[in-house]
Amino acid sequence: MSKQFLCIQRSQSGPCESAPSPSPSQMEAMYAKFNAWKEKYSEHIVDMGGKLNADGKVVKQDSAHDGPFIESKEIIGGFMIVSADSLEFATEIVQASPGVAMPGSSVEIREIHKP
Amino acid sequence: MINNELVDHLFRHEYGKLVSLLSHRVGMRHIEMIEDAVQFALTTALDNWIREQIPKNPSAWLFRVASNKLVSELRSETRHNELLQDNLEQLSRRAAEPSQFHLPNELEDEMLRMLFICCDHKVPIESQLIFALKSLCGFSISEIAIRLFSSEANIYKRLSRARNTLKKISPPSFELSNSDYIKRLPSVTRILYLMFTEGHLSSNVDFAIRKDLCEEAIRLTLILVNHSVGDNPECHALLSLMFLNLSRMSAREDMSGALLLLEEQNRELWDRGCIEHGLYWLAKSADGQHFSRYHAEAGVAAEHCLASSYKKTNWERIVDCYLLLEQSAPSALHQLNRAIAIAEWKGPQAGLEVLQANTPPSWLASNYLWSAVLADLHLRAREYQLGEYYSIEAIHSAPSQQICDLLKRRFAKSRGEGQ
Repeated sequence: MSKQFLCIQRSQSGPCESAPSPSPSQMEAMYAKFNAWKEKYSEHIVDMGGKLNADGKVVKQDSAHDGPFIESKEIIGGFMIVSADSLEFATEIVQASPGVAMPGSSVEIREIHKP
Repeated sequence: MINNELVDHLFRHEYGKLVSLLSHRVGMRHIEMIEDAVQFALTTALDNWIREQIPKNPSAWLFRVASNKLVSELRSETRHNELLQDNLEQLSRRAAEPSQFHLPNELEDEMLRMLFICCDHKVPIESQLIFALKSLCGFSISEIAIRLFSSEANIYKRLSRARNTLKKISPPSFELSNSDYIKRLPSVTRILYLMFTEGHLSSNVDFAIRKDLCEEAIRLTLILVNHSVGDNPECHALLSLMFLNLSRMSAREDMSGALLLLEEQNRELWDRGCIEHGLYWLAKSADGQHFSRYHAEAGVAAEHCLASSYKKTNWERIVDCYLLLEQSAPSALHQLNRAIAIAEWKGPQAGLEVLQANTPPSWLASNYLWSAVLADLHLRAREYQLGEYYSIEAIHSAPSQQICDLLKRRFAKSRGEGQ
């Protein structure tokens, strides 16, 4: 029985904005790379997830603030769910993904606990 | 094979199509905003398409995103300026107008129109080329710098110059007249020729990168000849010479990337499909009274492609083509090429006689090609003293290590070593 993992993608806030955006040929290369990766691990990708919008709220019992990342150096940019037999294999899948290719970006992998 | 490669570059080619289409809709004076909007659409596409399926009609998808972005940018820029308000409404409508751009012909017309706009004589030719590479071929500034052996700062400067000039002079009515098209055709063919030769003749960059430039030139020339304005013998000849030269490109290097002499090349590696395209357009170009430089160059390339071996090359016909080339485009470089062909046909002494008839211009005399040919011909004529003198000179001024190696190997052969 395979386990499921939540993969949280983080990238640095700020500097990314000023980095030059990729050229059309670079985008072509990225697209090809991503598709190859998706194909290779298609059985393990439960949910491709998505990008998270920059605006949101942080909600507590008695308040709701805009945020949540005004102060934080890293922002959560996206998520996905993969299935794998072990944390090691989930790591392998994520390591091979273009999600970690950008400088300053990282992916946190957490097993989804199912009793 | 080549056709597949030509349609493959979706992102890059959509860039050129969208920039052309939108600049026709809202005018060249918004060119930067247009390019930003197209870039935005491609980035958004990348984000979306990797998570979901690529849409059924990617062009329509991209057009919608780019034009929405452009309209909102136009609005926010002119918000402060009431005077422009009416104008803006009209522009926004034009930009967002749903179009029948599913018809590939219409888009190709847009690209052709853009090519003719950028070939305005008020823009220096170098800047025309850079503008075309950026806006029509979707190359970034750093990619252009690599392809043209220039610094990014320099490319940027020339690009801005082209943009600023074009913003001022491009027709406010959004349309070019018929006579504009006819008048600018020579500039357009020249820029396409330049784009091709930059890829074909340059010596010190990656093969794939150079081939890219050649394929872009062919793509745009195909659009040109498929349109009434470019459907003439001269453009057919231009396209022919591109296909014929491209067909032999991959055989010019060995596995390690070292350059090979024509006589060393494996002719099996020449791209037959490409040669067939080239011969097709060459046949079409043999029409009418005008013999252009492109006809002459296509003729030379065809002779090489049709020869089953180096020894069986019809050098006499090649010499004829070079003579015609010198007549339609006088240049000491063409004379040098003729001398090489004559030497193959009638012997090194005959080649030397051609070269000794005129003094070379200083740009050629200081170029490695000049001393290399003199070295080769003198060595083969057993005039060793002059031969060695020129060979040292040629090796000294060779622009890259690859060319240096090629020359050394060639001179060893010319001396009769290893035979």
